[in-house]
Amino acid sequence: MGRAIGIDLGTTNSLVAHVDARNRPQVIPADEGRPLLPSAVHYAADGSVEVGLAARRRAPERPVDTILSVKRFMGRGPGDLRPEDRGISRFDESGAVVRLLVADGARAVTPIEVSAEVLRVLKRRADEALGGPPGGCVITVPAYFDDAQRQATKDAGRLAGLDVLRLLNEPTAAALAYGLDKQVQGTFAVYDLGGGTFDVSILRLDHGVFEVLATGGDTHLGGDDFDRVVAARLLERGLTPPVASPGPAVLRGALAAAQRLRETLTTEAAVEADVELPGGHRLLARLTREELEALIAPVIERTTAPCRGALKDAGLSTVDGVVLVGGTTRTPAVRRHVRALFGKEPLTDLDPDTVVALGAAVQADALDRGGREDVLLLDVIPLSLGVEMMGGVVEKLILRNSTIPASASQAFTTYADGQTGMVIHVVQGERELAHDCRSLARFTLKGIPAMPAGIARVEITYAVDADGILQVSARELATGLEQTIQVKATYGLGEEEVEAMLIESIEHAEADVTERFVREWRVEAERILASLQSAFAVDGELLSAAERTAIEERLAGLRGAMDGDDYLAIKTWIGTVDGATKVFAERRMDKHVRAAMAGHRVEEFASEVRTTRQDPGEEE
Amino acid sequence: MTCWSCHGATAQSTPFCGSCRKLQPLGRTEDYYSLFALPREFTLEPRLLEQRFRDLSRHLHPDRFARAEPRERRIALERATRLNDAYRALKDWRRRAAYLLKLAGQDVFGEGGSFHDPEFLEEQLEWREALAMARADGDAAALAGIAARSRASLAALEAECGRYFEAEDWFSESVWAIASRLSRARYYDNIIADAERGAGPQ
Repeated sequence: MGRAIGIDLGTTNSLVAHVDARNRPQVIPADEGRPLLPSAVHYAADGSVEVGLAARRRAPERPVDTILSVKRFMGRGPGDLRPEDRGISRFDESGAVVRLLVADGARAVTPIEVSAEVLRVLKRRADEALGGPPGGCVITVPAYFDDAQRQATKDAGRLAGLDVLRLLNEPTAAALAYGLDKQVQGTFAVYDLGGGTFDVSILRLDHGVFEVLATGGDTHLGGDDFDRVVAARLLERGLTPPVASPGPAVLRGALAAAQRLRETLTTEAAVEADVELPGGHRLLARLTREELEALIAPVIERTTAPCRGALKDAGLSTVDGVVLVGGTTRTPAVRRHVRALFGKEPLTDLDPDTVVALGAAVQADALDRGGREDVLLLDVIPLSLGVEMMGGVVEKLILRNSTIPASASQAFTTYADGQTGMVIHVVQGERELAHDCRSLARFTLKGIPAMPAGIARVEITYAVDADGILQVSARELATGLEQTIQVKATYGLGEEEVEAMLIESIEHAEADVTERFVREWRVEAERILASLQSAFAVDGELLSAAERTAIEERLAGLRGAMDGDDYLAIKTWIGTVDGATKVFAERRMDKHVRAAMAGHRVEEFASEVRTTRQDPGEEE
Repeated sequence: MTCWSCHGATAQSTPFCGSCRKLQPLGRTEDYYSLFALPREFTLEPRLLEQRFRDLSRHLHPDRFARAEPRERRIALERATRLNDAYRALKDWRRRAAYLLKLAGQDVFGEGGSFHDPEFLEEQLEWREALAMARADGDAAALAGIAARSRASLAALEAECGRYFEAEDWFSESVWAIASRLSRARYYDNIIADAERGAGPQ
């Protein structure tokens, strides 16, 4: 078996490291001889994929087909997209998972697939450097990543063909590298400001025990946000000819210029930019360090509350030391902020860009060898896990900052006579109401024996493993009937989807895959035909004769496609049927909402009327 | 007991098989105290609990079993989960007291049931009023004072619980007295959280 590796899968850059024969963690050069592999992926129209510096060079010319900072979208649904996420990339928002449209719109890729491209390159570099495929690997994640984001990261690792031994929190990885290298003891804050995420972890280091006391952060806060405010200023002041709403190429160019200016101002007092942008635009600007610091001050200030909260959760008012992690902490204004916040001169002995990968390599090596006698890592879950109760209130089962692995149980009773099913809504977050928290999964427990209300009792158990990933099981207490539920994350990928992608990435057994897709899309088409037939029977009068004919024509097309073996044709026809029945679905919804007000339950109709769906199997 | 791996005889007192050293599943009878080999008492030595937790974690943590066969890996995960749950339950005096009540068959806080404590109601209202006034005035010193007094009340409640638990027959005589103190402790925890949220810079 090969050597274990540690991977820092970053927003801006990614790294791979291993522990060498002299027992020292070392970074493996990943891109054109450099340790940092830019987390950039370019999808060309001809189907080829480039990763790293080569991809980033394409970004100005092909802004839409070149994906940067994909980590921001890991484990996210279309509803999570923020205004600042738009402008450059094009999104397919039809599914539960965000997809990015690339290769001239010919492909829709999930963030998991994009991340897997980066991981594949790192794996290949490790393979070349170590003289054989790597053994197990540890991938780091922001400590503040929720369950869906962790699951997505693990899926990306599997998709890249990696044996993922563990997900490790980035600040914990940094602390591990520091603790072992510098032999530090006491309480420490790890302030980790990367390209797109911010974490703060408070740890106690005591004779080889690395105990995380509390963690806080923001998974949408980092150097990218500095670039955005600087780019906005550049565009406002220095763009000729000026435009009201700049397109992807101008935006990408301005962001790249902002990043360069910002980095130069780390050491210089003032800097000038003169950049030719596509479309005959030119960006001409001068920026001083003072101006830069005024622009980014509000962004830096957003790290204050998580730091104070983590200290408070740890039961501390101060720490013995502060460690800086992440390339963005090179910014002088960030260092001043940290110094003022903790009242300590921050430690920067280890390179903030590589320290996380080094810690990950140490942990990977330890796991691969059955653990180290001299090290004990005790990490925590960053956000509370709860279940939605009647009235939408959240009952927290596992509190944030609980040491993992952890578990908790809660018993529920039925509220209606003869009730045989129970909806369980799993949420993560600190807010009181379920709709303010992240929805991780929603499933129905079936097979509860019919009894009077309040007699049947179901015990739900949450179990969080050492990766910070949740499993849910349920047991009916009166009969002892047990069900273990596969929690299918609302925003993650199902087992089947990952499998389908795996099969695709291996480019193997293509005929089998195609056949499976045909089968699955046929089943889906049949389901639609059946549900439309019953809808016509109930609410046919809501359609005019012409509308009905238009729908029937498309249904005929769909039936024709179902007889063939081209699943893409079936899929396309389903799309046209969806389009043609949208108005019908809306009218039915209106009608039944009115009916609901007259005493019916609207859910009965909503689920039947719904015409959107999750793709049963996706080749893209 | 028989080892799942080598089928040799195993002792309940140690997590590992004496002959093949494989990790053994948790016994059904082990409670949180027996995991740490501590007597079932409310008063315990925090340093000793922490020391035992760390010693056990070093041997049972999933990090030690990443390359073990799936069954042993699963057992390690279960063991480490139980150990962390147990440590969490015993570390904090409120949870420790609630756990002792539960072991005695008095699950007073189960099923999310609320606890009626009419004697305490008046005091609750006074605290709330003081808190609301201090917050409205933005009086940081008053808020800090409220938090400090609440902490003193918590310490007193802990000492009272300790005295009740010392009685030979506490589980028949003092359950309600202990439970009402835990309920009050929860209330003081909330007061402290609210007072500190108001006083500290946001």
